[in-house]
Amino acid sequence: MESVKESIVIDCKSETVTSINQMIREFAKNNIKEVIIENPLARHNLGVCITDPIHLIYNGDVGYYAVSLCDKVTATIKGNCGWAVGENLMSGEIVVNGNAASSCAASLRGGIVVVKGEAGARAGISMKGGTLIIGGNTGYMTGFMMQKGKMIICGDAGKALGDSMYDGVIYVGGKIAELGNGTKVEEVSEEEKDEIKSLLDFYQIELPPSFQKIVPNGLLHHFNKKEFRVWKEIL
Amino acid sequence: MERNLIRKSKVWSPEKIEEIQEKAQIGRYRIRGQATKRMDLPSFDDLVFTPAGLSRVPLEGYRERCDTKVVIGEGKVKRPLVLETPIMIAGMSFGAINAHSKKALGIAATRCGISTCTGDGGMHPIEREYSEKLVYQLLPSRYGLNPYDLKKADAVEIVVSQGAKPGTGGTLLGHKVSEEVAKMRDLPAGVDQRSPCRHPDWMGPDDLGVKVEQIREATDYEVPIFIKIGAGRVYDDVKLAAKVGVEAVVIDGMEGGTAASPEIQLDHTGIPTISAVVEAAQALYDIGMKREVKLIIGGGISNGADAAKAIALGADVVYMGSAMLIALNCQRPIYIEDYHALGTEPGACHHCHTGKCPVGIATQDPELMARLDPTAAAERVENYINSITMEMQIFARSCGKSRVSDLDPTDLRSLTLVTSYITGVPLVGLGGKKPYFASLDHGSSFKDLLKV
Repeated sequence: MESVKESIVIDCKSETVTSINQMIREFAKNNIKEVIIENPLARHNLGVCITDPIHLIYNGDVGYYAVSLCDKVTATIKGNCGWAVGENLMSGEIVVNGNAASSCAASLRGGIVVVKGEAGARAGISMKGGTLIIGGNTGYMTGFMMQKGKMIICGDAGKALGDSMYDGVIYVGGKIAELGNGTKVEEVSEEEKDEIKSLLDFYQIELPPSFQKIVPNGLLHHFNKKEFRVWKEIL
Repeated sequence: MERNLIRKSKVWSPEKIEEIQEKAQIGRYRIRGQATKRMDLPSFDDLVFTPAGLSRVPLEGYRERCDTKVVIGEGKVKRPLVLETPIMIAGMSFGAINAHSKKALGIAATRCGISTCTGDGGMHPIEREYSEKLVYQLLPSRYGLNPYDLKKADAVEIVVSQGAKPGTGGTLLGHKVSEEVAKMRDLPAGVDQRSPCRHPDWMGPDDLGVKVEQIREATDYEVPIFIKIGAGRVYDDVKLAAKVGVEAVVIDGMEGGTAASPEIQLDHTGIPTISAVVEAAQALYDIGMKREVKLIIGGGISNGADAAKAIALGADVVYMGSAMLIALNCQRPIYIEDYHALGTEPGACHHCHTGKCPVGIATQDPELMARLDPTAAAERVENYINSITMEMQIFARSCGKSRVSDLDPTDLRSLTLVTSYITGVPLVGLGGKKPYFASLDHGSSFKDLLKV
């Protein structure tokens, strides 16, 4: 462990996951601004339940649940991520320079998660707030049962996009393999276009020529015998 | 003239006719609360204890101690869950029941030295305030989940499925999704809520192992972690759950309760609690983890006999939900006109899903909620828990055991062939052994008869 002003380096090679998490929590409590995590070696659970402000820089690939169950944390992951990066983030910011596996930003509650590459299946599943930006394509069941929040997908989206979503909005810049049940396509307003552009510019992600906007159609909000064909697919 | 007597049919029973005609009206499956109403399930009533006689000495009920304490996670986590009696109040969400009910259950559990459980929908502040020991459920929906509440928990229960409806997610109809419930769950108020049946961030047992480690990291290895599974493929599920490395596995039998589920599922999915406990205990035994991993059994446990028999068959603790609601006041014959308005009567009500609970438990309506006095209700639940503890001690003492946890299958006999076959507990009588006269028949000689 080496201390450089307000930035501290943790070399994962010589530490256990538990000691790494405990050190990060301790540094955050003591107002250290930044921790550089060297050699993450795709280990799971690096950066779990950090609830004081701190910036984490992962110099490499991470495994499952990186920066999960966190609040007020910002992070840059310079490699790729395993499943569920940013799971249940309350507030803060996570930027993934590479790709993210399945379930990125699952159950996101606040803050912003940015995946500059591709994302796997179930991206933004059960989102309860916040913003998820995916620079590339995303997989099956993205936005499934989304409850709140905003998702911007610059590439193509897989099947069952936004299936059973309660609320929230999904913007897709590429092709949609199949819309999920209980969704509809709406026009994107000029105000929304401006907001998307400014977000993508900020994170240096190429802006697609146009977007489709996906929102819930409300047909699944109440058991209704008139909507049997829709319900048949769901329950 | 021929007499045409009124005869009811088994095939087209009045219940089936009513069901068909209701479905013809509503255009979907029926949804209701409570639990399965099947009358033909094997149950703990089919077992009896074989108390001490000359071959074993009973304990004096008035003088000799009979220990009931159970500790979950001892030697494994920093803060094991200590239960003064092997009973836990099962998960019932804020949403399914209201804050008054949560408060009453919390007060009663705290007085009895046992735990309550959040259920789906997050940790309500009232519940945390009044429950000294609170199990925090982590469900597929992740409603209300946050790192701060996670750190406040005394145990974490990862719910895979529920006994009343294994293989599906939760349901909470719009009448009960009040502003407060909606806020806690991040849902639009008044929406018919369906929860997912799979967790959003793991899929199989290997991933679950990583998830458990994540929760360990989040809780700093302080509190025990359970995995709860609705009873279905119990033997394999329990082995997989135990291997993940949790302190306890919860198995919820098909008699388990619900605030709202498809009725067809209540009656036709899962396996009965009595069979689930045997499969679960056998699974832990077969992988050498029977002592290491605690087994918590729920689903229709209603008295000390059920609880003691479950423990004798291999459980360490029983989970009780519906019975606690009944102790609160559920089904009590008060406000009878409101039962009638729902088309039901006290003792047969299953209208938790409507949000119009006549006794103010399974409702978010402030006027109905006012019908439940949390202080008086807490006393009833406390009395009930204490009665179950005493009943369990009766069986343990009479079988010569100084600890309830020492009850074992040899203390039991089956009353029915089915139960004997399911549990492996011998039938009453000789339990399969041939009687001394088995070799004799009508053709036996007088000389042979004299020998016996």
